[in-house]
Amino acid sequence: MFNRELVKGSTSLIMLQLLDERDMYGYELVKELEKRSDNDFSVKEGTLYPALHKLEKQGYIECYWKEQEKGPARKYYTITSAGKELLDERTREWHDFVRVMNKVMGRKQNGTAEE
Amino acid sequence: MEQPKSRFLAELGEGLGRHQEKNHILKEYELHLDDLLVEFSHLQEEHELRKQIENRLGSPEEIAAIWKDELSVTPGKMKWLFFFLNIIFFTGGSLLTLVHNLYEWTWLKEIWGHITAIPIVIAFIYLFFWVLLGYEIGKGFGYKGKRLLKITFLLSLIPNIILMALTVFKVIPHEWFAPLLSRQFIVICILFTLILYPVSFIGYTWGKKASL
Repeated sequence: MFNRELVKGSTSLIMLQLLDERDMYGYELVKELEKRSDNDFSVKEGTLYPALHKLEKQGYIECYWKEQEKGPARKYYTITSAGKELLDERTREWHDFVRVMNKVMGRKQNGTAEE
Repeated sequence: MEQPKSRFLAELGEGLGRHQEKNHILKEYELHLDDLLVEFSHLQEEHELRKQIENRLGSPEEIAAIWKDELSVTPGKMKWLFFFLNIIFFTGGSLLTLVHNLYEWTWLKEIWGHITAIPIVIAFIYLFFWVLLGYEIGKGFGYKGKRLLKITFLLSLIPNIILMALTVFKVIPHEWFAPLLSRQFIVICILFTLILYPVSFIGYTWGKKASL
């Protein structure tokens, strides 16, 4: 399990990344995150909605209700152009950070120790 | 197995208290819980189900606390907070000026003397207020904060404009601001007023970076 603060600081970025690929509802976001991280990256699911609310308040995502063929209507989230812009900026920043950290820590790109 | 779900939602609702978005929030958790119930359909015991739900979602108290933090930051509150903070500055300054000119209190004369000796320092402290205004709006409202920044800025500027007008039209006697009202100080004041918005905007950009 990763450091809690590190996970907390990355959750919004991950949400933006997932929503950049397709519109999703809350539970779907959680499942997608688990799938992609092989269950290594998990958040308390109840904290996801306040995080999404904040992103919406900041204008980085929007939401809409969509009727389902089976079951009740779902609240879907979609990324805005400002969200895409922020995601690009933050992704670049993140890659630079990882590259520099790997250099400083003396590790290869994949994080394994150099012999 | 609807019991743990309804109990969870009832506790969450209680924790959220009264809020206009409460029903929307609960609806979303209800849908999430429905999905979790399908996932945990193999569980027979109610207490085990509740444990698993809390393990995944967090407790209703924890969730409600996070929501309260999130819902406490609204554009309206932010706007009025800075407006009234500026009013407090002005009221404080006005009272000090008024009392200093009306009464011969030695201790007040001393305070007045100290303050009027460092006008530039005070101007920089005041400038910091406007940076903070921009920063907090950027941090709390990100991209959407730009419009709020403009509105808050214009609203907060009202006392400044009123004071300037009252001074220029000599409604407030110039002697009251002695020894501050020198030509040099007036030029500095105008320059500082001109840079208030750019300074707030820098604060906003900085805050926006910290918003995610």
